[in-house]
Amino acid sequence: MTLVTTPAIVLHSYRYGETSKIVRLLTLDLGLQSVVAKGAMRPKSKFGASLEAHSEGAAHIYVKPDRELNTLGEFEVNQLRRELAGNVERFALAGVLAELVIKFSSSEPHPQLYVYLHSRLNQLCGSTGEQLVVDGILSLWGMIRELGYAPALTECAADGRPVSEGDAPFSVKDGGFLCDDCALGRRLSMVPAADRRFIGHAIEDTLEGIPVFEENTAAAHRRLLSRFIHYHLAEGRELKALDYWEALN
Amino acid sequence: MSAIDDLNAELAKLPGIGRKTATRLTYHLLKQPKPTVERLASTLRTLAEKVHPCQKCGNMSESVLCPFCVDPRRDDTSFCVVEESSDIDAIEKAGEFRGRYHVLGGRLSPLDGIGPEDLAIDALKHRVEQVDATVEVIVATNPSMEGEATATYLSGVLKTTGALVTRIALGLPVGGDLQYADAVTIGQAMAARRKMPE
Ligand SMILES: [Zn+2]
Ligand SMILES: [Zn+2]
Repeated sequence: MTLVTTPAIVLHSYRYGETSKIVRLLTLDLGLQSVVAKGAMRPKSKFGASLEAHSEGAAHIYVKPDRELNTLGEFEVNQLRRELAGNVERFALAGVLAELVIKFSSSEPHPQLYVYLHSRLNQLCGSTGEQLVVDGILSLWGMIRELGYAPALTECAADGRPVSEGDAPFSVKDGGFLCDDCALGRRLSMVPAADRRFIGHAIEDTLEGIPVFEENTAAAHRRLLSRFIHYHLAEGRELKALDYWEALN
Repeated sequence: MSAIDDLNAELAKLPGIGRKTATRLTYHLLKQPKPTVERLASTLRTLAEKVHPCQKCGNMSESVLCPFCVDPRRDDTSFCVVEESSDIDAIEKAGEFRGRYHVLGGRLSPLDGIGPEDLAIDALKHRVEQVDATVEVIVATNPSMEGEATATYLSGVLKTTGALVTRIALGLPVGGDLQYADAVTIGQAMAARRKMPE
């Protein structure tokens, strides 16, 4: 058994037995981890509030090789991110980010994913109104990229030929935009040029400034995202936080 | 499956009880005099038959309405919203609150798929709207991230009712559970409640 100290973000926790908690962590050095925090439900536990969802700090984990569930020795919290609970949309988005990490990452270390989640949660903490709507869509496309499922943008998702400029058809099933030939005769949603550029910036993390969406544009983005995630990442499996977020709007 | 296996399996479904403890409890019961075991069985049956959620507030009760809902001395213009029935006991012990209760039946938790429609939020709004005076709604959900987010949501939903929505103050251990807090702490938290931001 080895003791590893690593930066970690709490994704989710639930009660385990009478007094303990099981905590899902994204760690910098050990990737996705499930740990048991013994006695965490006791009123005077050393863990206190530190194991609340979305908080971040240094986790001291006792790692046993080939064990699914390791033991959390200590968690020194440095960010609680209580602001996330102060807005319903923010809280839902943070939940979706956590859910995607829990379901689609692994115990392989993935420092870039860690840094991305860290920065998106910080961004969401202070985000409100129109910015929050855009931040949400941006964060989810970014998370899809970090998890390795980015859609095809400029080359046709079906045959790799270039997709012409302007409005373009998007096929959730094929995993991105299609060229005119491949889209011929199929019922696909046409993504307007401006939204296509936005998705491109979101995927490539190159957005400068925050566009203002019309309400129906935001809704269209949310629907596309949700369908894409359900099809490619979840393969039909249930994604509770994502469905919750979609239903909020 | 034998009777022993059946009971083991049922006991192991209870929170905090694993296979081992379940087996130990089963064998403990087998060593008891028959009347003792029968008393336990009949108590469980009575519990299942007689106890239901109160039709008004959702508190567990043996009658259609719970004692807090029928007590004429309690204040009709003040509601205390809790996650679970078991939280009411803790607040009653603190003796600081004399209004009516409302049990949500949980808290918002996107990752567990618990959304507003899974909680008794419409019923709360309806109750508040029926009072012909200014109402205070004290949100006493747990001081956890989910409890806090639920409070935020309630504050938004109740805005149209004109009610004053307040949140019990911390002092309660964050991440803790109301039912485990001591009466003094709950009393102080109730007294120092604050108005929820709009
Ligand atoms: Zn093509
Ligand atoms: Zn009642």
